[in-house]
Amino acid sequence: MSGYKNIPVEERRRLREKKYKKHNLANILTHWFNVASWLMLLPTGIAIISSPRLGLAPEWWQTLFRSMFGSTANLITFHYTVGLIWIVILGFNILLGFRRYFVPFAAHRMLLDKDDIEWLKIKPLQMLGFFKGKELPPQDAYNAGQKAYMYVVILGTLGIMSSGIVMTFKEIFPPFLKQIAQPIHWVSVFSIVAGLMVHVYMGAVFPEEKEAFFSMFSGKVSAWYARAHHEKWYYQKVLEEMEWEDKVMSETQQASEDKPLSDHPLPSM
Amino acid sequence: MTQPVVSRRDFLKISGAAAGAVAATAGMLRAPVAQAAVSANLLDPDGDGYISTMCEMCVWRCGVRAKVKNGRVVKLEGNPEHSHSQGKLCARGQSGLMTTYDPDRVLHPLVRVGQRGEGKFRQASWEEALDIVASQMLRIKEQFGPEAMVFSSTHNLSQVQFENVLNGFGSPNYGTQRSLCFNAMVTAFLLTYGVEEPARNYDTVKYILYVGRNMAEAISTSETSGMVEALARGAKLVYLDPRFTKTAALASEWIPIRPGTDLAFLLGMIHEIVTYELGDCEFVKKYVVGCEELPAAMAEYTPEWAESKCGVPADTIRRIAREFAAAKTDALAHPGWRTSNFINSFQTERAIATLNAISGNVLVPGGCLIADSPEASGVSLGKPPQPAYPRVSALRLDGVPWKYPLVPLKLGVFQEIREAIITGQPYQARGWFISRQNPVLSIPDRKRTLEAMGKLDFIAVVDVIMNDTAWFADVVLPEASYLERYDPLHVVDGRIFLRQPVIEPQGEARSALWIYKQLGERLGLGDFFQYADEEDYLRQQLAPLGLDLELLKTRGYLDPHIEVEEPTEIRFNTPSGKIEIYSETLGNAGFSPWPTWEEPATPTPDRFYLLTGKVAQHTQMGTQNNQLLHKYSDKPRIWLHPSAAEPRGVLTNDLVRVRSDVGEVVVQALVTEAIRSDCVYMTPGYGHLSKGLRTAYNNGASDSELHVTYTDPVSGGQALTQTFVTVEKA
Amino acid sequence: MAQTKRYGFVIDVARCIDCRACLVACSVENEVPMDNTRIWVHDLGIKGTFPDLTRSFLPYNCMHCDNPPCTEVCVSGATYKDPDHGLVLVDQDACIGCGFCVDACPYNARYLDNERGVVDKCNACVQRLDVGMSPACVATCVGGSRLFGDLNDPTSEVSIALKNARSVQRFDLEYKEGVFTGPNIYYINGDVLQSGMGPRMPQYTLAEQGWKKALVPLMAAAVGGAFMVQATYFTKQLIEGEKEFDE
Repeated sequence: MSGYKNIPVEERRRLREKKYKKHNLANILTHWFNVASWLMLLPTGIAIISSPRLGLAPEWWQTLFRSMFGSTANLITFHYTVGLIWIVILGFNILLGFRRYFVPFAAHRMLLDKDDIEWLKIKPLQMLGFFKGKELPPQDAYNAGQKAYMYVVILGTLGIMSSGIVMTFKEIFPPFLKQIAQPIHWVSVFSIVAGLMVHVYMGAVFPEEKEAFFSMFSGKVSAWYARAHHEKWYYQKVLEEMEWEDKVMSETQQASEDKPLSDHPLPSM
Repeated sequence: MTQPVVSRRDFLKISGAAAGAVAATAGMLRAPVAQAAVSANLLDPDGDGYISTMCEMCVWRCGVRAKVKNGRVVKLEGNPEHSHSQGKLCARGQSGLMTTYDPDRVLHPLVRVGQRGEGKFRQASWEEALDIVASQMLRIKEQFGPEAMVFSSTHNLSQVQFENVLNGFGSPNYGTQRSLCFNAMVTAFLLTYGVEEPARNYDTVKYILYVGRNMAEAISTSETSGMVEALARGAKLVYLDPRFTKTAALASEWIPIRPGTDLAFLLGMIHEIVTYELGDCEFVKKYVVGCEELPAAMAEYTPEWAESKCGVPADTIRRIAREFAAAKTDALAHPGWRTSNFINSFQTERAIATLNAISGNVLVPGGCLIADSPEASGVSLGKPPQPAYPRVSALRLDGVPWKYPLVPLKLGVFQEIREAIITGQPYQARGWFISRQNPVLSIPDRKRTLEAMGKLDFIAVVDVIMNDTAWFADVVLPEASYLERYDPLHVVDGRIFLRQPVIEPQGEARSALWIYKQLGERLGLGDFFQYADEEDYLRQQLAPLGLDLELLKTRGYLDPHIEVEEPTEIRFNTPSGKIEIYSETLGNAGFSPWPTWEEPATPTPDRFYLLTGKVAQHTQMGTQNNQLLHKYSDKPRIWLHPSAAEPRGVLTNDLVRVRSDVGEVVVQALVTEAIRSDCVYMTPGYGHLSKGLRTAYNNGASDSELHVTYTDPVSGGQALTQTFVTVEKA
Repeated sequence: MAQTKRYGFVIDVARCIDCRACLVACSVENEVPMDNTRIWVHDLGIKGTFPDLTRSFLPYNCMHCDNPPCTEVCVSGATYKDPDHGLVLVDQDACIGCGFCVDACPYNARYLDNERGVVDKCNACVQRLDVGMSPACVATCVGGSRLFGDLNDPTSEVSIALKNARSVQRFDLEYKEGVFTGPNIYYINGDVLQSGMGPRMPQYTLAEQGWKKALVPLMAAAVGGAFMVQATYFTKQLIEGEKEFDE
């Protein structure tokens, strides 16, 4: 039960100024590295992966990119070179931080729970205009929509990488694998693109989520934003804070024997 | 397509490794080829370019332009300046680089360590190998006389120096392949026209008669092209062959004649022409000996008589005779190619010579049959000085001339040598030096050839690849392939052509000129090899004409512009100076002076004539290991007609056992309408025994295993089609 | 810019003797793997009964069609019809060797080179054309059966051969409504249409068909749907104005 709309203004102001750290540096760098790679890979990829029979890309786009790179072969070389770098760095990041970052991340932030399922049932209908007044179940650090998109991205990325490798190392793989690699690559890309449209809109354009966009640079969101949109995570953060305060207090109490809290001396001159 | 022994990657690796190996061995006594070619501006500084040379994949020896890239031959083109090629190469010519890069090449001298035929050799240095060969030959000479050493080589460009070894050594025993192939033709035309092999001109021909000349499959590049052009122009081709070959498919008229009876057909034609004076009487009166008596001599050979012998309707013979005669000088009866079919093949050849003569189309300006030898052009090349040959007193083992009075010494009767080795008569041969030849597969009755080899103390073979004869040798000396060596110059249609190396010879392979010189010196015959190296030899050849070797290397050929005086009268190189249809020489030797009918052998009803022939993708029995040719070759099978196959329960691809009087083989069958029901045809050249030929080994069956040895007493030619066989399902 | 040249072959069927010099020459010139071939001489068989027999041969290779079904399925654009002279070529650096085009070719003219992982086929020895030589098969054809040149040039050997031919045939195929392959190999002086060596309809592999018929509509719906959602919200946002403070 959220009820964040009932919070008085002053409290809201306090909450707005208070920041919590949501994304660590590794997450941030990986995200933007991914964005940069996609900015190079997606347009070139669209210029490559289309046949006259399939009609997947406009011919002027293909011609533009082919002439930009001099030849179809050069375009493809560029695409798979960037693609391989992308795979290596991304893979390296994930594997390097696998135990310390990825596993806890997956355990805490990716798994779907009851609230998420409920959210997934209600939210789409809400978007279509039903259940207008209904309150959505409280969400964790990432809401169910975001979690769902994460799955799309992970599966899609694996699909892109594996099919990309098959198509790049053409001497190694048999024709059949290369044949299915192409549609797999394309479906993976556009599954992500479909979600990307919502993701980019939500992250960068939709006003309610503006903080989310900036958090991808600073790593921080306001407590208000957290309370409003990611209630479960917010309370978890509050709890962490309280635990931290208790911990610090007990430590200082140790140091100053039986001095009660209220008699805590001011620092001496 | 069959499974390759060597994948493309392996092939590239091997040739690359070979090139690398060569770089390491390049510190031998010769100038690196690539360097020389670069300074001659044939190759650019990167080592890329074209070098002109000559093919050796068959005897036609087309001019070749070899494309070289990074020290490798990558493509062969026909040389447009060479009249035998005219810019084209046949399948074998195109595949030549695969022979050079064949992984089964012999690249180092080999000395046998196991039993003969086991294929166990050890690598030896050139010094050691040549020393062994020379010492063995000298030992034989000392103990048994030089005649105990047999020398054989299939005729090729370095033959003149091979003959120096033979003749300098003092042995009379010279085995060439000619009696296995075209003795009948050469002897007949020498006796009739005074020329070994008349050249053919298709420029204006209107009527062609091929007697078994399978021009579409036994390819002589320019001549095959000439035939197709003539046919496209509307010329008529009459083709006699018991088998529906690819030439038969092209021919205007295919006559599936009974084997051995072409002679009757021709005599019938001659009868018709001379009896009704349809030929060129003027020409005949002027240039032919026996003109008046000819009709009488041919009187019995009526077309009806001919029909009774060959089965072709008399009216057909009559009609063809008239058509042939009507074409006058634009008629061509082809002299033939391999003419070793029946003992009466000699007479068949005489009949062909007669037919051309009475039509007046011999040596006529612009005519189709040029009775000059192809090489006669007035170009006389020089040669290194050499002393006279030692006198030879011993009899030749091949019975020339005491058993075969009319066979030219240079041709010999090769199969007789093999017999003499076995019988030890008139004396026992002890050693055999073989160069560029494969007698194990080429002489009929393979078992007998191997038996003969078993009787010899010493066998040395010079070859490019581990062919069957090399497999049974004691010492194998690696000759460089034709793309890697110099050979003596070759004159074709008045032009001097060069064979020169286009790449560094691989491994330790060397040219025959070098091998013979090295061997000759060790035999004490240094005086017969007075050239420092191959290039010195070539310079000595060019010296009398004042021509420059470097220029020759750059252009691939030189035109010496010899002014040949047109003879004021046509003269033939015979005793009478005329065409000798009536040959006194023959008469004096106890043979019929006229072309005459000889009844050929025929099989019993349960047996078949065993036909042989050629395929366009191979050269006799020498190329079956070439993987490129193997890729595009048909499976070697034995053809039989359905009427023969059905009673035997044989279907296509069934295995059949084929038995002759001397051997048997098992081979796959091809049931086809394209052959007479009394004949079978086995794809020639297969059934190799050498395990050193990984592609060719055990592929198909060998007809030399089946062939019975028959020899024509006049020409010494063998008669392969007189082998009759039984066929049953295996 | 319209195609100026129209390179093509003329095969004089009456002249082919099945010597296969062309096959060997092509294999060497183009380094074709041992278990593939770019060109063929089909044996049309011995017809009839002894002694009334006929036999002819059919030299064959990529038809360099006017409307090639193969280039339509190439996903990377690796195979294309050259705009200047019309030869259908494969850029090995762009080809991934998936083989869609192999199935699509009605003439079975393409093959998969398993060593290099790409598709290959007759390219009319374009590397030789560039230096003024004719294709390897044509240059060495002993019978003079294979001819090559610019069909748009009335003085070329192919145009002249066509003009003087007794008969002219092509293996044309209507593979789509109103669309013909338009092969640029002309067979003269022999009947080849009855040979049984004619083309088949283009085939499309399971992967290609599944992609075209199932996955494309599916993803169009997904992406389209997502776009619509986002567009709706964006429009709403624009209309209603931005709310800085979302409460």
